[in-house]
Amino acid sequence: MDIDDILASVDRSDVSSPESTALDHQLITRFWVAERSVPELLPWPARLMDRMMERVRQQIEAIEDLAAASSDPSTAIFSDKPPNASTSTLKLSILQTDLSRTQYLLRSLLRQRLSKLTKHSMHYLLSTTSTPPTPPPPSQTPSSRTNQMQPEDSIPFPDDPPPRTCPLSPAEISYLHTHQTLLARHFGSSFLSSFPPQLRRLDDNAGGTSMLQGPDAKEAVFVRCLAEEVPIVAPPGDGVDEEVMGGTMRMGDVWVVRWEGIKKAWEKGDVEVL
Amino acid sequence: MVFPFPRGITPPEISFLAEMEMVTIVPRQRLEGLELLGGPVEPLIPPRRTSVPLWLASLLKRQRRANILPPPWLHPESLSLILDIETQHADYQHAFSPPPPLPGQPKLRDRGTQKPTARPRYTPESQRYYPTPPFLPQNVAQDQAYEDGGEPPTLPFHWLEVGTMLLDVASDDVVEPDQTRRLLKELREVRSAKIRAGVEVLDDAAVAGGGVTLTGVGAMEIGEGRGFIGGVVDGLRRIGASKEQARREQLAEAANGGYDATQDDYDEMEF
Amino acid sequence: MSYYDIDSILTDAQKLPCTFELDVPGLGVLEGNPGENIKAGTRIDLPLWLGEMLSIGARLGTSRLVTLDIPSALSERVMNALKADPRTVDLRALAPNYYRLSERVLELFEEEEMVDILSNTFKKRAAEIADHAHNPKGALGDGVEFLRGLDETERQLFRVAHDSAKDTRIWAGEAKKR
Repeated sequence: MDIDDILASVDRSDVSSPESTALDHQLITRFWVAERSVPELLPWPARLMDRMMERVRQQIEAIEDLAAASSDPSTAIFSDKPPNASTSTLKLSILQTDLSRTQYLLRSLLRQRLSKLTKHSMHYLLSTTSTPPTPPPPSQTPSSRTNQMQPEDSIPFPDDPPPRTCPLSPAEISYLHTHQTLLARHFGSSFLSSFPPQLRRLDDNAGGTSMLQGPDAKEAVFVRCLAEEVPIVAPPGDGVDEEVMGGTMRMGDVWVVRWEGIKKAWEKGDVEVL
Repeated sequence: MVFPFPRGITPPEISFLAEMEMVTIVPRQRLEGLELLGGPVEPLIPPRRTSVPLWLASLLKRQRRANILPPPWLHPESLSLILDIETQHADYQHAFSPPPPLPGQPKLRDRGTQKPTARPRYTPESQRYYPTPPFLPQNVAQDQAYEDGGEPPTLPFHWLEVGTMLLDVASDDVVEPDQTRRLLKELREVRSAKIRAGVEVLDDAAVAGGGVTLTGVGAMEIGEGRGFIGGVVDGLRRIGASKEQARREQLAEAANGGYDATQDDYDEMEF
Repeated sequence: MSYYDIDSILTDAQKLPCTFELDVPGLGVLEGNPGENIKAGTRIDLPLWLGEMLSIGARLGTSRLVTLDIPSALSERVMNALKADPRTVDLRALAPNYYRLSERVLELFEEEEMVDILSNTFKKRAAEIADHAHNPKGALGDGVEFLRGLDETERQLFRVAHDSAKDTRIWAGEAKKR
């Protein structure tokens, strides 16, 4: 951090101010677009979501109060300025439209996250724990324990608190664990229980093909470069163990690039996903 | 899949996003200022101009409570000029006409001499934040726009959505609406053909550390091309997977000095 | 190879010409002669997954059971046709998952030129696909035949291009929802 950054962060506006409401609205909108576009689940923006949910709650209350006041004839009698019926209807409809738009955005965001979670459920469940379940060694002679082996035994149990790198919210963790357990029991009772015990797992790795499928970070995304210059990187892999730089994006440019190539720049806020 | 959800925002969602663009209105009635979840709205005092989000402007316009002042680019003269750039200008045969600059980005003609300086705001989590469309005044009326100093007109990121919506709800506020509508359609066709022809250079986005520039592209155009472009890049990546290792070693070598042509290569990869 | 991906599983079953290097007792079943032996030098088409497994010695540098050959779908004749005009080749007739198969074959054989020819083929055909997908009236004339010859990857590309063009037209009010 240089001195400008420190000064700017000290100068941050009060969270309850209208400016901060507008800023959070912009942040959540940008986050929504990014979550809708990138292949993997983005880290849960806990504090931003808390502020958004709190403001939505307050706005609902404000709208209810206003609706009650405008339909209550007694206020018209006792207030010194009789409220203009047409104006207060207009005001209500604006407030309600604004609320619905925000609710739509939040719902779409949550639904997109659920879609990603359920598509790669085992992959994301593994991110919630540092001690994944280990399959019994294959050489072990069939014991009564392995005979009772059920699909749900291969489901990771989330840590409390989850690892710092876990991108899920607490509600998402509990949803995902419950969802996957139900699914595994259903698989078990409908067909997996008729398989030999060692074939009942949902995290099998035999034959070189893992059952654990994750999102593909190499998929292409559309981004805009916001900082003066941002390098596109090739993360370690394919026989090269260090991260290497590829092309350079310049401010205002829009590029089609691999998500993995700009993920770190996105985390720093230097690019936006379109 | 429990929730089959298409990747990337869909046309109605792109429209929803474009409705957050600020436009200029002339109110026809008074209204006190409001604290909305999208940010504060200034009091409406006729006939004082003010900027409000497009969704609010449309709501007021439909109820005849305001008129909308269309942005300067949404004018037959500006659109014809931009269409000329898109079709005649040698530099933009395979690229889109340049977009409006971001705050801190020099004007087009000064880019050779001036360096951009990105000036971030900070989020409550101390993250850098640079505002971009729909949160920049790219669609407000002329005298409220940030100084343009005789620059040629440019198409904002949400040009197609804002243009279409304004022609829809406020055609009586738009200059020569039929001509404007025709020009928007023509622009859309010219630019859509560029996207499809751009398949030729998509290999550059299919390699590690690579990419293809689409600077000047509109939000709806990304929405329309996202699935196709993503599919082509993905397909090319799979076909070229066996070459990936060689490519990476080359990059690593370039990073360790000597080979410096990489940078220039990327500059040429425009659509 | 992706565990739950149907196309990936189907590609795994595509056949590859294999030549046995050793006599194998009792494996005649592969030739349709159960109980018989397979002689060294026998050529049989085997599914990718099996051929790959049997040829593994080759990659370890020890003795191997079979040597693999490039399938006819990727033969020099086809490569020449693709070089001449990628648009006229019926890829679907060669292999329903043509590019997926190529991808797997290219993992087994180092064929740099093939990568270039296939990338170029895919791009040229993709541009054509985009043009057809954007035509709201659907394919006409030569287009019908071209579209019929698309492999699975290309069909998906056509579908996504067609659907997004349609969604955009619906948004613009130029087309009606289904």
